[in-house]
Amino acid sequence: MSFKVVHYINQFFANIGGEEMAHVAPELRDGLVGPGLALNNAWKGEAEIVKTIVCGDSYFAEHEKEAKEQILAWVKEINPDFFIAGPAFNAGRYGYACANVAIAVQEMGIPVLTGMYQENPGADYKNQVLIVATKDSAAGMRQAAPTMAKLALKIMKGEKLGASCEDGYMPNGIRVNFFEKERGAKRAVDMLIKKLADKPFVTEYPMPSFDRVEPGKAIKDMSKATIALCTSGGIVPKGNPDHIESSSASHYGEYSIEGVMDLTEEGWETAHGGYDPIYANQDADRVLPVDVMRDLEKEGVIGKLHNLFYTTVGNGTAVASAKAFAAEYAQKLVAAGVDGVIMTST
Amino acid sequence: MDFIIITNNPRVRDEYGAKYCVLYQECSFDEILYAVRDKIHKGHKLLTHPLSGSVKPNETPYKSIMISAERGAMDNDSVILIEDAINMATSGKFEKYRQRQATLNQRILADFQMIDFFLITSGIESAQTGLMV
Amino acid sequence: MKTLELGYIHINDIIIGSESKVENGVLYVDEAAVKALVLEDEFLKDVHFDVAKPGESTRITPVKDVIEPRVKVEGPGGVFPGMVNKVEAVGEGKTNVLKGMAVVTAGKIVGFQEGVIDMSGPGADYTPFSKTINFVMVCEPADSLLATDPEATLPIDNEKKPEYERAVRMAGLKVAAYLGELAKNVTPDETEVFSTPNLKEGMELYPDLPRVVYVAMLQTQGLLHDTYVYGVDAKRTLSTMMWPTEIMDGAIVSGNCVSACDKNPTYIHENNPVVHELFKQHGKTINFVGVIITNENVYLADKQRSSDWAAKLCELLGVDGAIVTQEGFGNPDTDLIMNTKKIELKGVKTAIVTDEYAGQDGKSQSLADADPLADAVVTGGNANQVIILPKMDKVIGMLDYVDVIAGGHAGSLREDGTIEAEIQVITSATNEMGFNKLSAR
Repeated sequence: MSFKVVHYINQFFANIGGEEMAHVAPELRDGLVGPGLALNNAWKGEAEIVKTIVCGDSYFAEHEKEAKEQILAWVKEINPDFFIAGPAFNAGRYGYACANVAIAVQEMGIPVLTGMYQENPGADYKNQVLIVATKDSAAGMRQAAPTMAKLALKIMKGEKLGASCEDGYMPNGIRVNFFEKERGAKRAVDMLIKKLADKPFVTEYPMPSFDRVEPGKAIKDMSKATIALCTSGGIVPKGNPDHIESSSASHYGEYSIEGVMDLTEEGWETAHGGYDPIYANQDADRVLPVDVMRDLEKEGVIGKLHNLFYTTVGNGTAVASAKAFAAEYAQKLVAAGVDGVIMTST
Repeated sequence: MDFIIITNNPRVRDEYGAKYCVLYQECSFDEILYAVRDKIHKGHKLLTHPLSGSVKPNETPYKSIMISAERGAMDNDSVILIEDAINMATSGKFEKYRQRQATLNQRILADFQMIDFFLITSGIESAQTGLMV
Repeated sequence: MKTLELGYIHINDIIIGSESKVENGVLYVDEAAVKALVLEDEFLKDVHFDVAKPGESTRITPVKDVIEPRVKVEGPGGVFPGMVNKVEAVGEGKTNVLKGMAVVTAGKIVGFQEGVIDMSGPGADYTPFSKTINFVMVCEPADSLLATDPEATLPIDNEKKPEYERAVRMAGLKVAAYLGELAKNVTPDETEVFSTPNLKEGMELYPDLPRVVYVAMLQTQGLLHDTYVYGVDAKRTLSTMMWPTEIMDGAIVSGNCVSACDKNPTYIHENNPVVHELFKQHGKTINFVGVIITNENVYLADKQRSSDWAAKLCELLGVDGAIVTQEGFGNPDTDLIMNTKKIELKGVKTAIVTDEYAGQDGKSQSLADADPLADAVVTGGNANQVIILPKMDKVIGMLDYVDVIAGGHAGSLREDGTIEAEIQVITSATNEMGFNKLSAR
């Protein structure tokens, strides 16, 4: 008996067409299509692609919710042993779709794997879903397919995952021990020699990196300044009208607090799924301190509180997405003449 | 250098309490870190490393940390060190030790007190060799 | 030019009997003579010897130190200077080495003492000392060290543990020196020559090669966490320089009882892997300038001074690159990052060796400190990895403490004799001088 696998690919790899055909809706086909052949061959009968799901990249990007629902319904019905998506190489929307579909399937309890180039925006999800690192173009299929097939089979057989560099997946924040070919001292000397020669080298432990942001210039006279409130704590008008996701948010919200002196339980709540919402729902000022800002406004400490605030959920949201949100609404704040922002987190 | 020792180690209290300024409290390892953090927020400077010793956080229930007696502007390096230590100690990876503490007998506890005592002693020796911090 | 020739005498067996000699690759040990030597110390009442060989179903625990027997054949001074020989400077001439074996000191200093060496099974893969024939000595404290209080920790009086630690440390070094002495007139099976030019010679010999220094950080946090250099407690020293060959003659010895997986036993100092790997590249891809030793103290001002000095020495020497290695967990991460950052800011490129405490699930942050300038890191692996150590037929030392050793936890010694623990209980499992092949990603 061989393992049943469902494969997800886009319109291009299904030979439907390029960008001009990216609008096609999800479709379910029997057996393997396109790159599925290389995977199937590598499995030598131990696993087999029983169905292939094809979806246009634009369709997925524009109808993510519907596309996911359809795909999950099919997967549920087929009930495969494994789900594999891509590889997407450097195709951004394809990578995004592969990662998100894979995450959704994973949540159903089915093991998944995808593959793409490390700079693909979909690679932002590498800590949530196993992603094999591939080259940046489809020419890398020859290496990618056997690596993905081998790792997929390992997972299907319930074998223990090796270290990322052994099994070819992107480092996912989970440190795994393994035995190197050379001892540590030799590796260190080799690494230093490369570094001295300005040749590329790969550190075995990348230092946690923090994006340093240069603080803005000091505001000279706060009593004349317009201050805005922003938050990643998910404060939204009651009912969450724009459906900001409780985790991995895909967008931000812009809401008016014109004339609002205090965020009440009746009017406001949090959309955030990563902390106990009771206290934020009781009094949303605890996350977005409108009440205190109104006091400061009244006392003349600040000139005025900006009449709009920007909010999203910082729970598992990709750094790239968060950056894109802020880049967009920062322009709006500048255009509105805002002098300073208080950003609250949870 | 005038210093204060914040500790939950009875041996440090007993041996150094009369000689130096020792603030003893009966509390957990983590609570000592928090107590030191609060002092740092009030302008005391950290003088010994909060994760001194190779005994892991919570493996030993005891911790003694030396801070400056003098208060100044809040010292950023001290804040970073104590916050990193708190993150490390409360990250969950040493949780199993916390559960084990209840099972430690008096003999083992005495050994942990001794190790912590030696560590802080080496800090005191350094503090007494000069004015520099 | 400072030149040392190491003569390796391969030891295939150790036989405890009534005569001491090295013959045809076999070390014969006169039990009575070695015992008498150990018991010269007024703080030791008795000592038991045993031999553990690779592949045997044997567990040694709790291990204090591991030492390789060596002897000066030619040149000034004696091995372990300042400890068992005069403080005269070593590192040149000829030194014979009993290769393939080690002296292992075992026995409880403190109640939570750690350190496991399994000679076979899964644990054996993680310790380098499953591959050596081990002459194990378990030292018993003298009555003068024993506690009168029946409630006291171990049998040893709390106040006297430092004396006991010192006695066991010295006993190991004395026995290693005694065994080494037996090989003084034995013709080595193999020799290896290590030459270090002085600064001027080096510049002339290798004008085009990048100049590299090795910065060795030594654990120095107080009793039971100490390292000795020529007999001096290294926590009261400024960062300084050594010829690499001095280390091969035992100039640095361990007095460290804590953190089995990443403390540096004397054996690993003697066989410092970074020194050996740098020598292999010396004159080919790099010019190995020498060793800077620096300490890891408790007091923050000491950390600052020592790391300033390590960086200053790099600057003074005008080197292009430095390898930095660490010893221990937690606050040494701060020293490691301070050293690395300051050395990089002097324009000297670094590669560093550390280990990780990333939690049993591998998800936690590995180090207590971090800096983007530390961009070339070699890791000895995650010390929190869980391992099941099967029951061994023979235990040398004692097992009763296993529940409380670091990385063990309540119930870790199971009824069937297996131990469930983290690899941090295993001697030198995640060594931070890069002695092993274990790594993590």
